[in-house]
Amino acid sequence: MHIAVLAKVVPDYEVPASDFELTDGRAHSRYKRMIGLYDENAIETAVQLKEKNGATLTIISYGSTNDIAVLRKAIAMGGDALYLVMGDSDDPYVIAANLKMAIEKLGDVDLVLAGQQSADMDRGLVHGLLAGMLDTPFISQVSHINADSDQWTVSQIHEDGTRELSFTGKAVLSITSIPENVPRIPVVRAIFAAKKKPVEKIEGIAAEPMTVEQKSVEIPTVESVCEFLPLDDIAETSKILLSKLREERYL
Amino acid sequence: MKTLIIEVVDAKRIGELVTVARIFGDTPDILALGADQIPGTFGKAYFTDDTVPANLIDGAAKLIQQEGYELVLLSATTVGTEIAGPLSVRLGAPVLTEVIEASADKTVTRPIYGGKAVATFSLSQTPAILTIRRKYFEPATAEGTTTAEALAAETAPVTLVSEKATEVKGIPLEDAEVIISGGRGLGAEENFTMIREIADLLKAGVGASRGAVDEGWADPSMQIGQTGNIVAPSVYFAVGISGASQHLAGIANAKCVVAVNKDEDANIFKRARFGIVEDYKKVIPTLIQALKEE
Amino acid sequence: MARIPYWNIDYGILIDAFALVAVAIFVYGIQMHWKRIQQGKVRLRTPVKDLPGKIGPVFVHSLVFKGILGAKIYKKLFTGIAHGFVFWGMLVLFVGTSLVVLNVWGGVPVFKGSFNQWVMSFGLDLAGLLALIGVLFFLVRRIMPPERLTTPKARAGFVLQISLLAIVLVSGFLLEGLRIAANGPDTYAFVGNALAGWLPADALAAHQLLWWGHGLLCMAFIAAIPFSPMMHILLVPTNAALADPMPGSKMGVIDFASFDDEEAEEMPTLGCASLADFTRKRLLDYSACLWCGRCHEVCPAASTGKPLSPKGVMLTLAERLTNGGFEDDGLIDELTADAIFSCTTCTACMEACPACINQPKTILKFRQNLVMEQSRVPELMGKALNSLEQRAHPFFGTGSGPKEWCKDLDVPVFVSGETEYLLWIGCSATYEERSQKIARAMVRILDKAGVSYGILEESRCTGDPAKQMGNEFLFSELAQANIEEFDALGVKKIITLCPHCYNSFSRHYPPLGGNYTLIPHVVFIEQLIAQKKITPGWSSTTIAYHDPCYLGRRNHIFDEPRQLIGRVGRLVEMPNHGADSFCCGGGGGNYWAEEVGERINQRRSEEALDTGADKIATACPFCLLMITDGTKKFTEDPKAFDIAELVAEQLG
Repeated sequence: MHIAVLAKVVPDYEVPASDFELTDGRAHSRYKRMIGLYDENAIETAVQLKEKNGATLTIISYGSTNDIAVLRKAIAMGGDALYLVMGDSDDPYVIAANLKMAIEKLGDVDLVLAGQQSADMDRGLVHGLLAGMLDTPFISQVSHINADSDQWTVSQIHEDGTRELSFTGKAVLSITSIPENVPRIPVVRAIFAAKKKPVEKIEGIAAEPMTVEQKSVEIPTVESVCEFLPLDDIAETSKILLSKLREERYL
Repeated sequence: MKTLIIEVVDAKRIGELVTVARIFGDTPDILALGADQIPGTFGKAYFTDDTVPANLIDGAAKLIQQEGYELVLLSATTVGTEIAGPLSVRLGAPVLTEVIEASADKTVTRPIYGGKAVATFSLSQTPAILTIRRKYFEPATAEGTTTAEALAAETAPVTLVSEKATEVKGIPLEDAEVIISGGRGLGAEENFTMIREIADLLKAGVGASRGAVDEGWADPSMQIGQTGNIVAPSVYFAVGISGASQHLAGIANAKCVVAVNKDEDANIFKRARFGIVEDYKKVIPTLIQALKEE
Repeated sequence: MARIPYWNIDYGILIDAFALVAVAIFVYGIQMHWKRIQQGKVRLRTPVKDLPGKIGPVFVHSLVFKGILGAKIYKKLFTGIAHGFVFWGMLVLFVGTSLVVLNVWGGVPVFKGSFNQWVMSFGLDLAGLLALIGVLFFLVRRIMPPERLTTPKARAGFVLQISLLAIVLVSGFLLEGLRIAANGPDTYAFVGNALAGWLPADALAAHQLLWWGHGLLCMAFIAAIPFSPMMHILLVPTNAALADPMPGSKMGVIDFASFDDEEAEEMPTLGCASLADFTRKRLLDYSACLWCGRCHEVCPAASTGKPLSPKGVMLTLAERLTNGGFEDDGLIDELTADAIFSCTTCTACMEACPACINQPKTILKFRQNLVMEQSRVPELMGKALNSLEQRAHPFFGTGSGPKEWCKDLDVPVFVSGETEYLLWIGCSATYEERSQKIARAMVRILDKAGVSYGILEESRCTGDPAKQMGNEFLFSELAQANIEEFDALGVKKIITLCPHCYNSFSRHYPPLGGNYTLIPHVVFIEQLIAQKKITPGWSSTTIAYHDPCYLGRRNHIFDEPRQLIGRVGRLVEMPNHGADSFCCGGGGGNYWAEEVGERINQRRSEEALDTGADKIATACPFCLLMITDGTKKFTEDPKAFDIAELVAEQLG
């Protein structure tokens, strides 16, 4: 069994709003780069699958060589190798096409996992596009995966409940976060071992970008004046709050 | 633009997409998943029995190409996400997800960086696909019902083995006018009891931040935020929630936010209308008491 | 009449044969301890040679004052005095008995003249009396023990040995009394003389019986020493001689660069999981521990209901060392990870320990194993570590950007070759809103004084939180990056705002290649005032000073902060001050912890507020945050300030 996990290195997703700034419509380069949070859930899910089924696990990413140091964490968590496609586009079609190229180069990938959405562009799109390009089914927001001979059964969490779905053959799955897939912290030994695991750098390919025109990127100004209620008599404050909410017709 | 909505049979979800469609032009047609009686009046209506989006891509693509639809609208939900990407590839159609604003001149806006920034795009090529974020558009009122014609099913690579709807304890978040949410600051699962108690008194829905859900204190269906439920209540109580931008994205259209957090520097106070900087364990019981006295 | 050895005793010389047997058993017992301790690892780091006051591996001052004079024992006055009576009394008696032997075997005239009167008669009687008083004190102490002796467990073997000693002493006096009763008064032997008044003058048979009994019990006591807590007679001075008296837990650093060439499986165990992972010095620690519980009493975790007891850790390891399971790495779970992470690394336990034991090092070694080998870490600490790894500071969830603290200030940037001092802001003062004011105050002071200083362009962390939480690897990565930066800029002198930064820079950076002159900000400000570069006004505000653990107890900087406070207000001392300062609870990564039991910072805040002082001053941003939070339980008024803030306020 060969599992591939997509991991994207993004700018710090916990930059406080007050410190957030853009250059050329993208996050300033001063922010530290890290693997997206949902991607880590996906890596954790993949490692658990690997441990249960004895699979090989390849981490696939699209980005620059600077990202390799960051991606080593994914390897330390349990990846066997890193395939890095080098490129700097942030067009989802171009990225998907390049990821497809890496998967085809690997040749025997049975399942592709990805985080629910990236922590920078928040599109939650590339995995779906990739599935379309690979002509395999795409299931999103998967919480559990089970392999039983040649059949896969997955659980999905959606807005109104859960679903159990099954399929045979290959697929692309996006992973949602649950307590069971909180990413493990690699032990120091694993971090050292990861330094010795193979990193394959692949030249990116040119591909047709999506035909939309980005007109602007802005930081919305949040205007809000918070009225802090007095703290000396909380019981009284509660009453004040309720009466204010009623006065202003919110309640 | 000739528009097709693809959606499950849910009046609110369909209504929101109709509103968006009308921004761009006329009332759209609809491809419904799972049932043939669709709330609202539509020129053309189709349906599939199969509710697994992976199985519909081929059929939907064929329909769109045959009928020459220029715009495909989906909600930014599991269903919409599963259709958007593969359909885009099949049609060679550009796709923008999580749209929060749209205007007739074919520009749409979507959030990036967890909502810290917004990007505006201009649509030029058709067909184009958009997934629309829930609760950012008023749902159009559905008048009448339309009976849909069946769409021929193609292959079905994915089998739906079973389904379970979440048992909503109390008021569903979807429609709640008042919502009370608990975050990491609650400290433990049992502390949600206090939240539920006050929610009962206020006839409010109970939500949770991603932090509380990741802890296992609340069901994922209760999660409010960029990657959970997007809600737009009149009053939103954020209890023990720090207010990361991803959470704020879920309550962008809440009218009045009341924050209770013992950390005066918590980001939530930048969004809140009323703030109480105190341990929620001291505040909520007094609120409960005040409500009971009324 | 002068005493005659072996009076009334036939074949008294046989006692020497028994003595030989006792000594043989005694030596066998010592060898047992030796072998046990030798099982440990050899210390990796080269002990610093040629230190003044060090002869070979022996720290002379420590050996004399702590090991032999037992200075620390006197922190509890009555116990100290009683112990002094027993120790010195028995030592004198031992010398006395040796003199008798010399008299018997070598004819040394000890029983003549004033030497006999004042030493052999009066001296030995006084020694015996004081020893007996001390022994009785300890016997009563063991029968009605204070809590620290029994929590979590009491050490066995004391009552037997103390009783033996009591019997030996009493029988000794009775023997003397009987002898004097038979042979005539000896006024200098005042105890024996007094007893003789009550005893029959002709109880020769009783005397003989008592003589052999006394001798044999004495031999038994000696032979039993290595198998009882009395072994501390040798172990404690040894431990005192070998324990580096430098304050702090002396964790050292791990050289990770050496592992790069190895296969990951061949890396040595990081931290300690079983007894076998510890060095001989640590095994000596566990052997020397008397389970006196003083560490437990002063431990902020133990005294607020946390699962940690430093005594508990020591006794568990001591028992394991004796009973077996040397290689069992289930040891950590016996101690529990919760206990291990409760330690705030304040080192109050080390300060209180009369046996010079380094408890925090042991606890932190377990922590290193948990974090680096097993990735087991409490959740919030894990998030702090994760943040430190990802964004080079531990303050996850902060609402501040890196330049927020100086957003409307014009702070100079360190220029290579031009700037004299690097002002190191540290992660806490950068990202925590309350602590940012410390940095702002310091900038104001430095500007007013016209000091040549600059900050780094990019905000950084020393890596100390990682070290405290047990992740040496992350610490050394961050440290190496800082050292590279400093050396590229030619940084020579660093002013720190935080004692944790100060401690890491001065102790742990040199072994990694970073050697700089470090000055904590309170010391620097005091220097500026002494040099008249700034003159803050004085006010009659009373200010209680909270000694930060990492400045005071761990680095012995007590005076400058006090002098500084005295220049701007009136210093008020808290009951637990100076080296006995009570931790704020924020150390050891516990700033990021869900506390169980009473909150340490609230206890310390209560102590501070109870002084009635107008303000509480501290010299550490973590202490400031913890105490600010702690005071909220008792008052709404802002009470806690950094000394820099108090000085800046008075600059006008």
